[in-house]
Amino acid sequence: MATVIQPRDERTQPSRIVPGYPQTPLRNPRQPLIQRAPTLSELTGPLDAARRLRLLGGDIAGHGEKQAIGQLIHLKVRVLDEDGAPVGGAMVEIWQANGAGRYIHPNDDDHAPVDVNFYGAARLVTDASGAFELRTVKPGAYPVPTNDGWWRPPHVHFSLFGRVWLSRLVTQMYFPGEPLNAQDRILNAVPDAAARDRLVARYVPPTGNPPDALVFEHQIVLRGRASTPGQP
Amino acid sequence: MKGASLVPTGEATLGPFFPPRYVDEGANDLTVFEGRKAKGEAIEIHGRVLQEDGTPLENLVVEIWQADAGGVFRHPADPRHAQADPDFLGWGRAATDANGNYRFKTVLPGAPEGRAAHINFMVMFSGLMRILKTTMFFDNVADPVLLAVPSSRRELLIAGKNRNIYEFNIRLRGENETPFFDD
Repeated sequence: MATVIQPRDERTQPSRIVPGYPQTPLRNPRQPLIQRAPTLSELTGPLDAARRLRLLGGDIAGHGEKQAIGQLIHLKVRVLDEDGAPVGGAMVEIWQANGAGRYIHPNDDDHAPVDVNFYGAARLVTDASGAFELRTVKPGAYPVPTNDGWWRPPHVHFSLFGRVWLSRLVTQMYFPGEPLNAQDRILNAVPDAAARDRLVARYVPPTGNPPDALVFEHQIVLRGRASTPGQP
Repeated sequence: MKGASLVPTGEATLGPFFPPRYVDEGANDLTVFEGRKAKGEAIEIHGRVLQEDGTPLENLVVEIWQADAGGVFRHPADPRHAQADPDFLGWGRAATDANGNYRFKTVLPGAPEGRAAHINFMVMFSGLMRILKTTMFFDNVADPVLLAVPSSRRELLIAGKNRNIYEFNIRLRGENETPFFDD
């Protein structure tokens, strides 16, 4: 059950300092990062985090009179490793703004309205095929307080625990066809166009099932592949 | 799926709106797991996280991963996995307060095979486009990860000690910047 982690192609990952994102030059290291050969310590990691953290399920849109306001969506996500093998049992944390672009968070003092039926946080575990589903409303866009015209496009945040420490991932998912995608400073911090495209969910044309929600599919690839015993 | 080769998903910042409820009560206490006490010497780790201009950072998320008191990781890749303390998860999460301070309760890790005793750290925050990873050590002793750090900066990875409390401050950028690893 050993995992091999190889360096990533830098162009598929965001630059650490992002023009127009004023916190990035204050918080990212000035010194070069230090190369190390991973040892057992970095090639193991928490597999039982879900026994410590309370699971919240994947249905955050509410029902009946408590249904959140906004476009109801089903998000179908698969979590794979670099071999394409499913990562089952992985804990996933999800958070997002409500349909108007407002978070329930002390840091959010935007003017957009709070929706009393939407908190916007899901925590669940992938099934054996690496899949999970989220029933939610499509998040709204919102202005960033840089006050220079930067608006975040609709997006969903993910935090994932893979099989080992170096597979831990914090990422964001975007929606197809959104005009704000092309200008978003965080999405466009990834230099490689194909890597950016993979951060955008795929729209699935309605089939009537479910009757009340639009469907989007998405794939998340965690670092690492299974090592073959006896091979380097 | 032989031959498949997928590119790892791009990272992104945690942003300013990570739900406070995700820093679950007790997630920073590794000495107790499901009501049972972990084996070993209980210690605390305290630290402060600052950005370049010296401003302490609030609501920054710190996670740790470590071996148990016997130096064994709770993970099947560890050949000694069967001997891992069943009452020790090895993982914890804390958030910094308004003064930039975080704290963990844990047990003193044993030295894993080929390594000195250490604790892996991860820092996630608004403005960090990628997770920052570092490692805390208890002593400046031979260790392959510590030796990868230029000798002039190694001291920054050694925790200060006051009885059973270890101090590990994290400077994201600037003077006495914490060494971070490129994995």
